Amino acid sequence: MPLFRLLARRAVFGLILVFVVSSGAVLLTRVAPGSVVADLVASGASQETIARERARLGLDRPLLEQYVTWLSHAVRLDFGESLMFGRPVGELVRQRAANTALLAVAALAFATLVGIPLGVVSGSRRRGVVPAIIRAASLVCLSLPPLITSLVFVFIAARTGWFPIGGMTSIEAASPGWFSWLRDVAWHLPIPAFALALPLAAVLERLQSQATGETLGEPYMLATIARGVPRSRLVWRDGFKASIRPVASIYGLFVGGLLSGSFVVEIVTSWPGLGRLMFDALRARDLYLVAGCATVGSIFLAAGGLLSDVALAFADPRMRGEDRS
Amino acid sequence: MVRRSLRIFIVLLAICIVALVAGALRILQPDAFAPASRIPSGGSLVSSIRGVPRSFNRYVAPDSAVETITFLTQSRLVRINRATMETEPMLAESWTGSKDNLTYTVKLRRGVKFSDGVPFTSADVVFSFRAIYDEKIGSSIGDSLHVEGKPLEVSALDENTVSIRFPSAFGPGLRVLDNLPIYPRHLLEQSVNDGTFAKAWGVTTPPAKIAGLGPFMLREYQAGQRLVFERNPYYWRKDASGARLPYLDRVTLEIVADQNAEVLRLQSGQIDCIQSEVRPEDYATLKQTASTGRVRLYDLGPGLDADSFWFNLRNDAKIPGARRAWLQHVELRRAIAEAVDRTRFADTVFFGAAVPVFGPVSPANKIWFDPQVPTPAFDRARAASRLAAIGLKNKDRDGMLLDATGQPAQFTLITQKGNTALERGAAVIRDELRTIGLAVDVVPLDVLAVVDRLEKGDFEALYFRFLTSDVDPALSMDFWRSSGNAHVWNRGQPQPATEWERRVDELMARQASTIDLAERKRLFGEVQRVFADQLPILYFAAPRVYVVTNARVLNATPALLRPMVLWSADTLAVSKTPGTSP
Repeated sequence: MPLFRLLARRAVFGLILVFVVSSGAVLLTRVAPGSVVADLVASGASQETIARERARLGLDRPLLEQYVTWLSHAVRLDFGESLMFGRPVGELVRQRAANTALLAVAALAFATLVGIPLGVVSGSRRRGVVPAIIRAASLVCLSLPPLITSLVFVFIAARTGWFPIGGMTSIEAASPGWFSWLRDVAWHLPIPAFALALPLAAVLERLQSQATGETLGEPYMLATIARGVPRSRLVWRDGFKASIRPVASIYGLFVGGLLSGSFVVEIVTSWPGLGRLMFDALRARDLYLVAGCATVGSIFLAAGGLLSDVALAFADPRMRGEDRS
Repeated sequence: MVRRSLRIFIVLLAICIVALVAGALRILQPDAFAPASRIPSGGSLVSSIRGVPRSFNRYVAPDSAVETITFLTQSRLVRINRATMETEPMLAESWTGSKDNLTYTVKLRRGVKFSDGVPFTSADVVFSFRAIYDEKIGSSIGDSLHVEGKPLEVSALDENTVSIRFPSAFGPGLRVLDNLPIYPRHLLEQSVNDGTFAKAWGVTTPPAKIAGLGPFMLREYQAGQRLVFERNPYYWRKDASGARLPYLDRVTLEIVADQNAEVLRLQSGQIDCIQSEVRPEDYATLKQTASTGRVRLYDLGPGLDADSFWFNLRNDAKIPGARRAWLQHVELRRAIAEAVDRTRFADTVFFGAAVPVFGPVSPANKIWFDPQVPTPAFDRARAASRLAAIGLKNKDRDGMLLDATGQPAQFTLITQKGNTALERGAAVIRDELRTIGLAVDVVPLDVLAVVDRLEKGDFEALYFRFLTSDVDPALSMDFWRSSGNAHVWNRGQPQPATEWERRVDELMARQASTIDLAERKRLFGEVQRVFADQLPILYFAAPRVYVVTNARVLNATPALLRPMVLWSADTLAVSKTPGTSP
């Protein structure tokens, strides 16, 4: 029951988050200098043409009126029409969101599968060459922002030809079957996924290392060792279960971090995701499209928070209401 | 022996004459492209573009991605040959002008079909004009096809002839039509009638519903990633040997937003060309790659566009009165023109790959550049005395000037953030002006914010770069005339604010309505002299333009006007030599 209440509370917070972020996106983009008709201004269109275009796009209406109209449609899941593309926002955002989710899931999976085991290794052994190498590598990866890692990976790909430099599919695979398409996407995925995952893996490694070290120093762990339980079992089973809680509790925040990080990575690696779309929308001051992208981003963030709570519930019985103390 | 030599000489002479006549005949065939030698047909070319297209409809979307797509998929009645800057016939086979130079009777090419197989007729031309002039559509192309504020009158005389009547004599004549792709009436007329044209041919329109008269047709748009074009089987242009163009089977436009990634992709052979010039900072790397034979670097010489620096000269500019007096004074502009060392400017901002310029017409514009226009010499002492004459004096001996009210001689210079050349240029201007005691606060802003400030007149000084769309000044009346929107220092004046602007208005009106080229040049030379005297915009250097393509790209004729490589997409080809393809 406490878990259900917690999840319900988080869901309500999630809805508030989505409302605040999307409203903020509309209002801030609207008040930001510049407008979607800048191209028209730069192309030498007459004042009359520019004024007509502003009126057609509703940019001549007061800010509040524009926001209320948008909100009344948004609550019915109608996010309006992109000012830039003249198409429904939902239609434009849907496919890009799927691409970003694919990238985020791949990066998260890679970061988890690499960062957590390495964290256990470095946390369970205070001395030695291997933990030192892991710690040093983590510090390097932590200090590299996704922009640099993606540029480095793109550079390596360009020099070696091992991976495609950018995009999500090859030109040759423009209309193949599902299997070829999947294989092609899988070939394009490593560069952006590694670029996103490396700093994240380093954070996970550091957190897990700290938590493992602290857990293994607990008196009940020392007692378990004294009872003759093998060290590897202690580290990888009992110790891992106890030490994963702090990592799981902030796992959801990583989803948000991944989305904000993917913003840059998607641009450098030409990954056709939500970050790229939002970048283009922001540059063009397409407020409805920005709001659509921000809404989806905040849904990801809220979902990440929920996921984090569920993961924590699995790792910590107290979260499931099984704590009788 | 002498007789034999004479015979050989006569034979050789005859061969030369035959060759010359054949060559001349070929030149006289405007629709026949003369191939360099054995151009291979087939293959595909990959180019990059930076932005995503907002639409596939050029009439309503003026962005550069749509412009490039339009060059691939559509045709015009006439076009400006970007290599020669001359007007040449395209869908218009020939034309004759009336004696009063107002009406052109244009014969259209027969047998031309849209990419969906529907024949092209004069009705499509009339429809296209109707669409761009439709107020509900609000096309910026429509605005550019006005002469003296009035639209052109277009009517169909028969299925293959149209009459185009100008409201007044117009020097550039049909050259103005380079801006107008001809759209298929059979696909778009309904949307014009029911008021949905602005949404027609949007980015989610199925490619099968889009047709054109260009060398390629859209096959697929992978949103945010790439556009794939296939050769148009009905394309009308042929090469000199009678082979149908285009040579290429496929063109792909990869959307690469990041310029660093774009260069890396080019170096690795994943793309064949980029649609803009090489950045100064990329030149050394690409030159090295060119020396390995992987890419080809074209030096097009000085560009048409120099970075522009100007003050807000509006009467209602939001500048306090005391500062406005000296900030809008012509002597300040003259002092700045003399204080900036243009050679140092070119060396620092463009790493030496630039030439000093002094006016709005770059030496690259060979037809209209007037070398007789006076240019200011680099002379800081003279600049300082000019500033003293308008009350800017070094009263506290710290090297920085104060105005008559004791306030520092200081202004804010807005420029575009993220454009490295502009950011470097603004920093050099700030440093150079410090040497004569002027303090400059450089404020880099997002490009949309810069345009917004320009539109609202909310700036003291701006440093920006405009792209030239044509070399003929009569096609940039918006810039020259005081009422124009691109008259950036004081836009949209109801009446000329100054005598010299009134003079420029008169000269430009005469220049645009004169047919004789020599007289037009003379009048425009006078305009340039007024401009050089009043300096409403200051120019310092025009960068040399380098264009790069993969070495396997054949027959490229890169040009200063955009799209630099794909403007001649129908005659581009790729080598099939192994090892050169990506």
